[in-house]
Amino acid sequence: MENFEDSTIWTEKYRPKKFEEVVGQDDIIKRVHSLTRTMNIPHFLFAGPAGTGKSTLALIVVKELFGNTWKENYLELNASDERGIDVIRQKVKDFARTKAIGKVPFKVIFLDEADALTKEAQQALRRTMENFTNTCRFIMSANYSSKIIDPIQSRCVIFRFKLLEKKDIEKRVRVIAEKERLQIDDKTIESLYESSEGDCRRVINLLQASSSISPNITVELLNTLISNAKPADIKVVLEYALSGDFIKAKEKLLDVMLRDSISGTDIIKSIQKETWNLQIDNELKVKLTEKTGEIEFRLVEGSDEFIQLEALLASFVLAGRGVMK
Amino acid sequence: MTSLPFIEKYRANNLNQIKGQDSAIAEARMFLKMFPKKKALIINGPAGNGKTSIVLALAKENDMELFELNASDLRNRASLEAVLKPASLQNSLFKKSKIILMDEADGITGTDRGGVPELIALIEKTKFPIIITANDIWDKKFSLLRQKCQIINLRELNENIVLDIITEVVKKECKKITPENLVLIANKCKGDIRAALNDLESVLNLGEEMRIENIDEREKDIGIFEALKKIFQMPLDKKTLEVFDDVDMEIDEIMLWMEENIPSEYYGKPLAKAYDSLSKADLFKGRIYRQQYWRFLVYQNFFLSAGISASTKLKNKEFKKYNRPTRILKIWMANQKNAKKKSLILKYARFNHMSVKKAMKEYFLLPLIINEKMKKTLDLDDNEIDYLQDKRGALILSSGLNKFRV
Repeated sequence: MENFEDSTIWTEKYRPKKFEEVVGQDDIIKRVHSLTRTMNIPHFLFAGPAGTGKSTLALIVVKELFGNTWKENYLELNASDERGIDVIRQKVKDFARTKAIGKVPFKVIFLDEADALTKEAQQALRRTMENFTNTCRFIMSANYSSKIIDPIQSRCVIFRFKLLEKKDIEKRVRVIAEKERLQIDDKTIESLYESSEGDCRRVINLLQASSSISPNITVELLNTLISNAKPADIKVVLEYALSGDFIKAKEKLLDVMLRDSISGTDIIKSIQKETWNLQIDNELKVKLTEKTGEIEFRLVEGSDEFIQLEALLASFVLAGRGVMK
Repeated sequence: MTSLPFIEKYRANNLNQIKGQDSAIAEARMFLKMFPKKKALIINGPAGNGKTSIVLALAKENDMELFELNASDLRNRASLEAVLKPASLQNSLFKKSKIILMDEADGITGTDRGGVPELIALIEKTKFPIIITANDIWDKKFSLLRQKCQIINLRELNENIVLDIITEVVKKECKKITPENLVLIANKCKGDIRAALNDLESVLNLGEEMRIENIDEREKDIGIFEALKKIFQMPLDKKTLEVFDDVDMEIDEIMLWMEENIPSEYYGKPLAKAYDSLSKADLFKGRIYRQQYWRFLVYQNFFLSAGISASTKLKNKEFKKYNRPTRILKIWMANQKNAKKKSLILKYARFNHMSVKKAMKEYFLLPLIINEKMKKTLDLDDNEIDYLQDKRGALILSSGLNKFRV
């Protein structure tokens, strides 16, 4: 039996609407809240891992500022989706040209994943920020503040979001479980927390996905769901390669790349990260990482990303013969 | 002696001198005898096996005038009619009959430009036999033409006949050449007597010291299979570097063939080395594109051929059936499949204030999260809903999630 609450997406439904509802970032909330109360915010830079509340906080700020007219005064841009800084500039220009509605004299632009912009694009953005400073405030989010150029950092008040702790996640899960009439025990919450690595969005999505199967959420259900639904990632590709099965490794790699349209540069990034997590000898890790670096160089210089990645897999096959069964 | 090239000097004067095509000659004679039962004859076959010689000798034997046409004549209807009216509708000046020869019909463009229809119209009107020669009359563009004509297929000349012919020529030229070299020439021409005579002439002129290495092997399309075989299974030598010269393909496509087939020939260390070479070839390809410095092509070609060949000395000799590259097809199919998914993710991402990239990471849970009732919330269309329901059903069935349901 599905109740009417099922007709929406929980990550939106349970997105905190007020400062008090945000979990785990107490200091930040306090400071942002008091800055917002003055009705004149500076530019913000929210830095921190995924699913810790950056976009949520930005939304709370604009709702607090503009009340019912927040939609007219708020522009959301994703740096990783908009193609190039020119598109962003144009959108910012169009948006900033008209005056804000209501008593607040500026509009707010939320630029998500600002660290996805190149250094050059960020330089251009800095000019845009200056040009529209009378009519616009920027809230930027980034996973790493170090990837944002200094001139932009110096124009912003920076807040560093922490990874959510277990108790924060638990608090949120309890609220949802009560409202949605779910049964969930401590052990399951713990496992939920671990499999999501502190990403609240992932936690809530896992919760909703599980609840579509049964309102009785158990560790078993959760594990079955994750192991079956979660697409095989790059780790599987590397394990095939290290066990000596080149053909399977390359097929899996192409699968992964095509399924989620992942670029070669993103793949090689995760290869480089995953290599360090593999259950293999440290000396071998060093060797493989050296190879990975060489191939990443060629991938940048060359023309066919897949050929480069295949070459890397072939050298993994060679280096790893026998280390994985 | 005149300085005519061998191919003209030793062209057959009569049908008896044409070797190795006896049944074809009989058929051609019959065609003339029966004319106008069939008005046109097609002589089809590879280059240099005597098509034109047969027509010339046939005309001579029957004391007929030869009227030659080419493809560009056909397109110019006015001038064609001006020439052909007297030629095809009236008897010729000296009461000689005529053969109209349309040589090398392969040059005619398809129906769009009018070449083939013009030829067909001409066949219907003509009072004289028309003979058409072609290398590949089975091309689609000739399908209508084929119905109007009698067709003779000429085979490739076999090596012995070529050898006979060139031995005869050497004798007539009063020159000397070693039998080994004669055999080499006959062997290399692959049934093309024109090529054999040209080679012979150059060897005789330059002296035998220059010898046979200087005769380029005819650029027959030995094809990508041969090239792959040469690289993977034969020892590395000078020829390895030129292995792609005979492949009628862009180098980009050749790269894909190599990529696809390396794992079927190499294992372990040679596999890694071969891919390393392929990777280097690609590196230079990238540099060519970026810097427009085309000399890098030399290195791209080197790593692609010699580099991969040098990956091992212990070559596999077993026959391998090489595969066509599959990656492009897979990419295409994935794009078709991903179109629905992409529009879905875009809607989900907008609704949830997140980037497509982030939404992609949550995608694996969406079939369970988004149900029929959320259609409106996300503004989904029926296609997208169907897609999600399919995914959801498949996931629940295949994963044993069913046992948790209440």
